[in-house]
Amino acid sequence: MAAPVTDSPLRTPQQPPSRKRRWPLARLDTKVTPYLFVAPFFLIFGAFGLFPLLYTAWVSLHDWQLVDGQQGFVGLANYYALFGDPNFYNALGNTVSMFLLSTIPQLLAALGLAALLDRGLRGRTFWRAGLLLPNVVSVVAVALVFTQIFGRDFGIVNYLLELVGLDRVNWQADTWSSHLAVSAMVMWRWTGYNALLYLAAMQSVPKDLYEAATVDGASRWRMFWSITVPSIRPTILFTIVVSTIGGMQLFVEPTLFDPKGASGVGGSDRQFQTLTMYLYEKGFRLFDAGYASAIAWVLFLVVLIFALINFTLARRIASKG
Amino acid sequence: MNNNATRRAVALAAAAVLATGVAACGGSADDGKIRITVGTFSDFGYEDLFAEYEKTHPNIKLEARKLEFDAHHSQLATQLAGGRGAADVVAIEEGWLAQFRTSKDKFVNLADLGAKDLKDQWVSWKWNQGILEDGNFVLGLGTDMGSLALCYRKDLFAAAGLPTERGEVAKLWPTWEEYAKVADRFKEKTPNVKFAGSAENIYTAKLYQSEEGYFAKSDDSFIADTNPKVKEAFLLAGGMGAKGQTAGIKPFTPEWTIALKQGTFATETCAAWALAQIKAGAGEGAADKWDVTSVPGGSGNWGGSFLTVPKQGKNTKEAYEVAKYLTAPAQQKKIFAKTGNLPSEPAVYKDPEVLNKVDAYYNDAPVGQIFAAAADSLKPNYRGTRDSKVRPRFNEALARIEQGKSNPDTAYGEAVTQSRNEVK
Repeated sequence: MAAPVTDSPLRTPQQPPSRKRRWPLARLDTKVTPYLFVAPFFLIFGAFGLFPLLYTAWVSLHDWQLVDGQQGFVGLANYYALFGDPNFYNALGNTVSMFLLSTIPQLLAALGLAALLDRGLRGRTFWRAGLLLPNVVSVVAVALVFTQIFGRDFGIVNYLLELVGLDRVNWQADTWSSHLAVSAMVMWRWTGYNALLYLAAMQSVPKDLYEAATVDGASRWRMFWSITVPSIRPTILFTIVVSTIGGMQLFVEPTLFDPKGASGVGGSDRQFQTLTMYLYEKGFRLFDAGYASAIAWVLFLVVLIFALINFTLARRIASKG
Repeated sequence: MNNNATRRAVALAAAAVLATGVAACGGSADDGKIRITVGTFSDFGYEDLFAEYEKTHPNIKLEARKLEFDAHHSQLATQLAGGRGAADVVAIEEGWLAQFRTSKDKFVNLADLGAKDLKDQWVSWKWNQGILEDGNFVLGLGTDMGSLALCYRKDLFAAAGLPTERGEVAKLWPTWEEYAKVADRFKEKTPNVKFAGSAENIYTAKLYQSEEGYFAKSDDSFIADTNPKVKEAFLLAGGMGAKGQTAGIKPFTPEWTIALKQGTFATETCAAWALAQIKAGAGEGAADKWDVTSVPGGSGNWGGSFLTVPKQGKNTKEAYEVAKYLTAPAQQKKIFAKTGNLPSEPAVYKDPEVLNKVDAYYNDAPVGQIFAAAADSLKPNYRGTRDSKVRPRFNEALARIEQGKSNPDTAYGEAVTQSRNEVK
């Protein structure tokens, strides 16, 4: 039962209806119902999002052992320690490096794939469904398979390298090689997903724009950059923000890539330890929950800053095009 | 039990469970029986014993919970912190036990339930590892111990012109220094096969032969920087790694399994519990190739676990009874027969049946005798409550040497500096 939004045309303006008296319940209904409808999200967010966030902040201000709990208030000591911790900067650098290495090629490839699929392709549904397949496969399985592929002694990549006369690479040993391998996993998983988002956006670009451009004699390349990309700008912005959030929290792929198992250290020299892995190492290996909470909060801020920077940059670039 | 049996997938799944805090709670089953969960990792060999126990205790229903080594222990930490979710009986490995000793108020004092009477079942050092406050607090009951031996590939030794009979092989390496020399000889003849699996295993085995490692036995103070035993073991193992005599493969990983199948390396330190893992990794195809002999430098202790009862359980008394049953000599003997995990109870490892055990897979090696002899000469290694902060730093340093990114001296210096920072 909804309240009348507009007055009936039969009513005269001199006699405004006293709705208050006539529709008390309905009035309450219009006011309260929308909040009731959105309430479940905010309740769940409060319980599983906001509360842990605040509680983590509280923990980060204490000397807090994972098992024994609070050992005393230390104020910002955990943060001071963190900002003077070379391992933290190392992890931050690795995270940014792997994020850039995986996200930029990934989004470009997704754009290209989407553009190809946007044309009349035979067996379109097959190709489109195929795009999503890597994303459906469990990330643990993906990481295990890729770790085998990039294996030092028995991996396929090294086998192929040797076939063409190159040296074997100990993928886990060096910074660059481990970052490449981890980025490959991330790309494999998310390129198709982003391509589908782009494709959906491309489908709604008005066709007459292309027709007009064709009449003007524009090349396909020109049409892509001057019509398609600007038209799907909101979607591109969305994928960039989402990839930033995901990329800065990279954890499973590098963790499983570590030959030492789930220790969170990320290689013999922390060469592929991400911020989330460092958090895991401190919190769940060394039981220092206070320090881990401080990392969590700094990570939260880092993600926020990166998302904002990317959003601003991407909006600039896209609007220029 | 084993230090690092990997199922990395399981580890991650566990991490996910741990992150969401989902865990079943103990309590009564639907049929009115008391349900006791037993949390373990690796292979404790308990399945048959559970059935037996349920037969003699009709009111009890036992339930096994098994996770990968690391995941098992870090999940226990979060469960203890959260105050719920832990199994009623939980196994803790020696290396991790040190860390949990500092949180004894989360565990039931088994002395209150009569555990003191059981003291004489175990060798004294094993019992002492599981107690606090001079024995007035009993944290855990000992299961197996990691008495050390050395596994080697007969066929690869023959190819390198080395003796293959286990008695003679043992004579090749009374000390680790001799072992390193054998590695030199081995490499000359067969340059394409590595002598050992990893520098880490050599280092760990040698270090576990000394009474103290990174921390002083007397007051738990940090001595990794001054303890000559640490440096000695590190430089020896690191030196072999630098010379390319190790395959540089982290033990108990999928890569390790493949390497075992391919015969990439010829020797591997093996604690009693590791026999089953090498066998599983190398497969039946290598059935007559592996053999077991004594480890250089006498014996050492590598791992071994304890059964504890977390306080948060609803039926701690029944849980203690289960732990008591599982660690009693009669059951420990059955476990040894099944899995080869060596019990830490003299009554068991001196039992003729145990002593006479041969392992068909390892060319009928008299594993009972080898491990029992090692157990007798074993000096327990003091771990220290902050062991887990320091140990990985040394292992990582060894890996850097094997990867050609560092040399033994530099890597040792780095490991010492890093671990000093960790414990300050």
